[in-house]
Amino acid sequence: MKSTLHIVLLVLTAFVSIVPPTWARIYIDINAPSISKFKVAVADFHNLGRAHEQPELSRKFADVISHDLDLSGYFSPIDRKAFLEDKDEGITLEAINFKNWSVIGAELLVKGGYTVIGNHVEVVARLFDTYRGKQIMGKRFLGRITSYRWLAHRLSNEIIRMLTGQDSMFLTRLGYVDTTTGHKEIRVSDYDGYNSRAITSDGSIALSPRFSPDGTRILYTSYKDGRPKLYLRDLRSGVCRVLSQRKGLNIGAAWTPDGKGVALTLSIKGNPDIFLIDLNGRILKRLTSNWGIDVSPSFSPDGKKMAFVSNRSGSPQIYVKTLENGHSRRLTFDGNYNTSPSWSRLNRIVYTSMNHGSFDIFTIDPGGGEPRQLTEGAGNNEDPCWSPDGKYIVFSSNRLGRYHLYIMTANGQNQRRISSGKGEQTAPSWGPAIP
Amino acid sequence: MRHKTNLVMMVMALLVACAFVMSSCAKKQVKVSKGAQPAVQQPTAPAGGEGQQPTAAPKKVEAGVTPEYQKAEAERQARLKELAAKQKLLDEIREFENEKIYFDFDKSDLKPEARAVLRKKADWLLKHPEYSVRIEGNCDERGTNEYNLALGQRRADSAKKFLVTLGVDEARISTISYGEERPADPRHNEEAWAKNRRDEFKLIK
Repeated sequence: MKSTLHIVLLVLTAFVSIVPPTWARIYIDINAPSISKFKVAVADFHNLGRAHEQPELSRKFADVISHDLDLSGYFSPIDRKAFLEDKDEGITLEAINFKNWSVIGAELLVKGGYTVIGNHVEVVARLFDTYRGKQIMGKRFLGRITSYRWLAHRLSNEIIRMLTGQDSMFLTRLGYVDTTTGHKEIRVSDYDGYNSRAITSDGSIALSPRFSPDGTRILYTSYKDGRPKLYLRDLRSGVCRVLSQRKGLNIGAAWTPDGKGVALTLSIKGNPDIFLIDLNGRILKRLTSNWGIDVSPSFSPDGKKMAFVSNRSGSPQIYVKTLENGHSRRLTFDGNYNTSPSWSRLNRIVYTSMNHGSFDIFTIDPGGGEPRQLTEGAGNNEDPCWSPDGKYIVFSSNRLGRYHLYIMTANGQNQRRISSGKGEQTAPSWGPAIP
Repeated sequence: MRHKTNLVMMVMALLVACAFVMSSCAKKQVKVSKGAQPAVQQPTAPAGGEGQQPTAAPKKVEAGVTPEYQKAEAERQARLKELAAKQKLLDEIREFENEKIYFDFDKSDLKPEARAVLRKKADWLLKHPEYSVRIEGNCDERGTNEYNLALGQRRADSAKKFLVTLGVDEARISTISYGEERPADPRHNEEAWAKNRRDEFKLIK
């Protein structure tokens, strides 16, 4: 582990010349076959204000950051029970006894403090390299006490940005179907399943939520009027309107990458086919016309191609259509049930496949090739969806008996359950961070 | 002790009285076709209707029946017939709606048994043009939600097409897919899945 960090630091020194002012850019290649996780210790935050004010934040900030770092897949947080920290050890470079941290194996150390001001809190966090005894990051944020998780996510994001040069997923959100009320309703939560709120409360069947590329709107199908219509809801104003209510199906929508169009399955021609409509609901183009079922469109990042599911060969398989010339090519050939394609920003397609009677998640190159299996021997694993940056996958699994949401890295590592609640959670959509 | 004896005697008297009333009722009640409602009108009541006092002293009928009686009896028979017909229709509707058709996994083509059921339904619909039918396509829980919604639609449409080829007006048939959202059997096994891959039929007047 020690050597890993040193190698990374070596790489980093190589980068110094390219990226002059911010020296601390560590390049972590998440597409490397395997990643050695950094051992990180996140110490309880110090209350820098008056002692009686919000003492529980001390533990909460540390817990959220530690959880974030764990979910990122880059780190292995050390249990605080192993800490040798002197209770009064400060949070500045001079005050820290780095030996106490390096001896328990911590390569990186996060320390921080907070000051409560009315219903707000100011929080500061610092990241240290324990072996070199150096501070590599320091950040301060102010926000409402009730938004402490968001403040902690922002600090975690700064840590990841410092180490990888890119933003993390910590400020992104999930939309999903939840059955807690006994009906199927759409909910939206933070990326880690916390702070969930109801988007629909129709007491009906709501399905297939899809965040717009800018994260401000969400599409879904609902039976609230007795049959499946496509709805578009503005998440800020809460205003909702019907986008498509044609006879038969109005399901499985996908945004075009520019957010100006929506592909969905309609059955107006007597057979489920994919059509492109604009945000006024007008049909712009018919994208598939085939005797079989065509569903679940997902666009390539440049919007020039579309992955979708068709049973034209006799069983549901994934196809890729080049929109310019209309040519469709079959992508999956293993097994007789491959569905739910999601095309990542990093140009990889994730899908679910029936494998010996249960469903597992696979990825494949959009140009073809060998599929890579990411889940195995753990119940059914379905509805995969990429994080906006294409580095993580959220999916639903019934590995613990009922369906809940899980996230994992693009190569299937670090599978973690993120949703809680009495009901089942399925059909996740991953929306971007809202600026 | 004495109180108890009195009580027993009272109960017995009541039972005898009841038995008498019931038997006299039973005599008056003409056989009603099974399941139908009991007659609303008493056959001996004059046609004048309920609550009306006889205008004169009741006429003594020696033999045979009065025209009033005959009229009342005819009306009663007509009413009974109507009720029986209504009941028969209700039974038919119940049977129509209870009889589902089933599909194989990931299939929307009609099996021979399904065709037989649909032929019966087509006959019925042709005899009852005042009814429309709504076909609801359903799937088992396995597989992807969206694909199952499309598959459910295809299952409903398969049944619709067949009914149309049997002469039922297309305008009388609507379809909807519930995908895997409305299982008939909520269990997670082969038996439940087989029951859930189905079309249901709802009659609408």
